[in-house]
Amino acid sequence: MPASAATDLGEVPDLDLVKRSQAGDTRAFDVLVTRYRGRIYAMTYHLIQNEAEAWDLAQEAFIKAWRALPNFKLDAGFYTWLYRIAHNVSYDWLRKKKIQGDGEFDDERTEHRVAAGAEATPKGDVAPDTALRNSELGQRIQAAIAKLSPEHRQVIILREVEGLAYEEIAALVPCSLGTVMSRLFYARKKLQEQLQDVYDTTL
Amino acid sequence: MFMIPPSEDHTLIRWIDGEMNETERKAFEESLKSDTALAKEAKDLRALSSSLRAHLPAEMTVPHADFFNSQIGVRIAQMDLDQVRTDSTEATWMSLIRWMRQPWFATAGAAALAILGFIFFRPSGDVAAQSMILSSYTPDTRIQARAFHDDGAGATVLLLDGLDAIPADKKISGIDVRRSEMEPEVASMTLYDANESQVLMISRDGLGTPLISPRG
Repeated sequence: MPASAATDLGEVPDLDLVKRSQAGDTRAFDVLVTRYRGRIYAMTYHLIQNEAEAWDLAQEAFIKAWRALPNFKLDAGFYTWLYRIAHNVSYDWLRKKKIQGDGEFDDERTEHRVAAGAEATPKGDVAPDTALRNSELGQRIQAAIAKLSPEHRQVIILREVEGLAYEEIAALVPCSLGTVMSRLFYARKKLQEQLQDVYDTTL
Repeated sequence: MFMIPPSEDHTLIRWIDGEMNETERKAFEESLKSDTALAKEAKDLRALSSSLRAHLPAEMTVPHADFFNSQIGVRIAQMDLDQVRTDSTEATWMSLIRWMRQPWFATAGAAALAILGFIFFRPSGDVAAQSMILSSYTPDTRIQARAFHDDGAGATVLLLDGLDAIPADKKISGIDVRRSEMEPEVASMTLYDANESQVLMISRDGLGTPLISPRG
């Protein structure tokens, strides 16, 4: 797909690009890939905690989306639909790999790149960033996330990164609302335990 | 004294996540004033939540982003080609079956069947004519990829200007490649010679760097 496609169709709304993609226009689909690859990759990266695997899974999600485009209903949001596909691809991979919460963590995995303009500042509450540099705290958080079970990691990402409401998480996982809340509770407690020294120092 | 297990007491979690209605929120915040332990727990969990949002960006730069897109394009094109071939094969067989069901077909006898067999099962002639170059993209902008096809020689030559010389132990020169198979699942391509032996497999590592595995 030519890189120039992005500049030609960059301002076209999702819906129009989806219609053109459904008609077989790969240039239109390329624009959709460019538009959402950063968000999809971030989600797969946070879930998988491995740059190479996340790259492959993000690509797999777009391929699956292309295959499924004929079934996409135009009254739905494209990104929401795409996100669901990417989430399922990643979570299936995670389950197959059976990554355990007590697994070893590779520091090199934490290296990631934040997109220019991406939201990366706390909203509201004071974060304990004063005691540790941002990068150090970021690595600690990534390490703690990597040690969570797939189920706990999943709800934390969906809630804290994607900002999904409980009902949306329950529908996506799928599970009950009570399960969502329980998993969020325990996931946060585990993260708190692992980051305890950070918070003891700063709070 | 009966205590609600933390996993079932979702009040704190719902407050942190803003999932309470106004009445519930006010009541909970009132209880925080009289329960210092709960207030500390709420404060700690809120701080954790803020840190997570700050350090888990919703958008990240995709490594080798152009290659990411071009690989998707290649795989889509390959899927389309595979679909065309599948449809073509199915259409051929369906046509044959419909023909065989005709009342007059039995009278045509074995001779006609033999002719049909020759038509449908003869080797496809010009392999090169069925091939197409999907992309000449190179992840390293210092390298230029060009392709030349010669009908007379029945060969396509790929020129990669800017690459280092191929080590002497990589014996890939002089190989007669007759066909290739692409495996989209692992993004690899395997080349076969006239004896249907694998002579070369081209894939890439997790960062998109091409990997070449020649025979021997």
